[in-house]
Amino acid sequence: MEKKYSWKLNEIIFTAMLCVVFGVIYLGAVWLIAPLSAVFTPMGFANLGTEIIFGVWFMAATLAGYIIRRPGAALIAEILAALIEVLLGNMYGPMVIVTGFVQGIGAELVFAAGKYQKYDAKTVYLASFACCVLSFVWSFIRSGYGKFSIGLIVVYFIVRAISSLLFAGVISKAMGDGLAKTGLMKGYAIGRTDD
Amino acid sequence: MTFMRSLNAGYKLLTLIIASLLLSFTYNIRLNLVVTALGFVLTLTTTGVNKKKFFLAMIPFFIAAAGTFMTGLLHGRGNEADAITVLTMTDQRILNANNFTNGLKLASRILAYGGLGMMFAFTTDSMELIMSLMQQFRLPPKFAYGILAAYHFFPVVQSEYGTVGAALKVRGVKAGPFSTKRLFPMLVHALERSENLAMAMESRGFEAGKPRACAFRVPLRARDFVFLFGLNGAVLAGLFLL
Repeated sequence: MEKKYSWKLNEIIFTAMLCVVFGVIYLGAVWLIAPLSAVFTPMGFANLGTEIIFGVWFMAATLAGYIIRRPGAALIAEILAALIEVLLGNMYGPMVIVTGFVQGIGAELVFAAGKYQKYDAKTVYLASFACCVLSFVWSFIRSGYGKFSIGLIVVYFIVRAISSLLFAGVISKAMGDGLAKTGLMKGYAIGRTDD
Repeated sequence: MTFMRSLNAGYKLLTLIIASLLLSFTYNIRLNLVVTALGFVLTLTTTGVNKKKFFLAMIPFFIAAAGTFMTGLLHGRGNEADAITVLTMTDQRILNANNFTNGLKLASRILAYGGLGMMFAFTTDSMELIMSLMQQFRLPPKFAYGILAAYHFFPVVQSEYGTVGAALKVRGVKAGPFSTKRLFPMLVHALERSENLAMAMESRGFEAGKPRACAFRVPLRARDFVFLFGLNGAVLAGLFLL
């Protein structure tokens, strides 16, 4: 009998591989955003550049949660993503793991609330939004967002929420459905339930 | 010196996570700068660290710190009472002293995290880290080797990003850096690759739950605890004294 909590090797490697793909996409995005951040700097909106692509960080959590459909999938995926970032020499180093943990909890809570049975569009979007909320709370602690004016905090939150819904919500869901349609996903929960 | 390199990678990670968390409780500018300097010194005195690479890697931190400083300065939550009007080149702005310190606090914190992060990144081998997480922190071997397998595909995935982009271009398809047209083929490749890898590993006898022999032992020595308690003790002391 297959245990509910024990991962299969292909699921682990696929999740890690997803994190690598998103890592590459994110790196590309960082270069694209750098000039934008530079333009924002004298106006005092430098962080806006990072906020725009923030949602890419949550894609591993929502997509893995959506595909693997196991308790802990979203959380573990996000921690794996952080660990891979560290292996690749992420500039913020060890702190990234804590960040990954906090963000992963957001998506995990939403999937848990659906008892790991509900995987419709609404749940995935909600999961991406939950990542956004938790990561924002974490930004207060880690990046000192509490020192900014309320207006700016509201703007940052809205931008991050839109970014999360777009990348980790809409795009993750579409990618998961697309992969399921290829017929290559018979070894994963998403491929078994959708036919 | 080789002290930083000889540390147990997993315990080094733990030490630096705790130190970063301790720093997130404070906005002490002096402490942040001391930690930054410590990170620089410990990294640069380690043998085999590429100094040019190190300084190049520090550039994003200074840019991020400058960006955050400006944000804190212009959009901080300061008191109106100590506002001063300054004439800049383009217009007249009201700045306030409180926000100036706010900006410094946030910027110095970014540098401190950067110093700690670089200390880890430049002195740690990824293989050693995973092995240490497996041997000292009970990371299941299935995860340890699975992560390593995927991690080593990073350069392949990176060149694939370019290849997929070029393939789309040849066909006259416009695709931005985040376009799903670019992402989807990459995910399909990732899926196929992980299936093949998993099958290859399992067909060669990789099995979870069986006792494993390990050729690569990561030692845990007294110096790891010296570093763990020394660094965090120093940061704690700095929290109260500086």
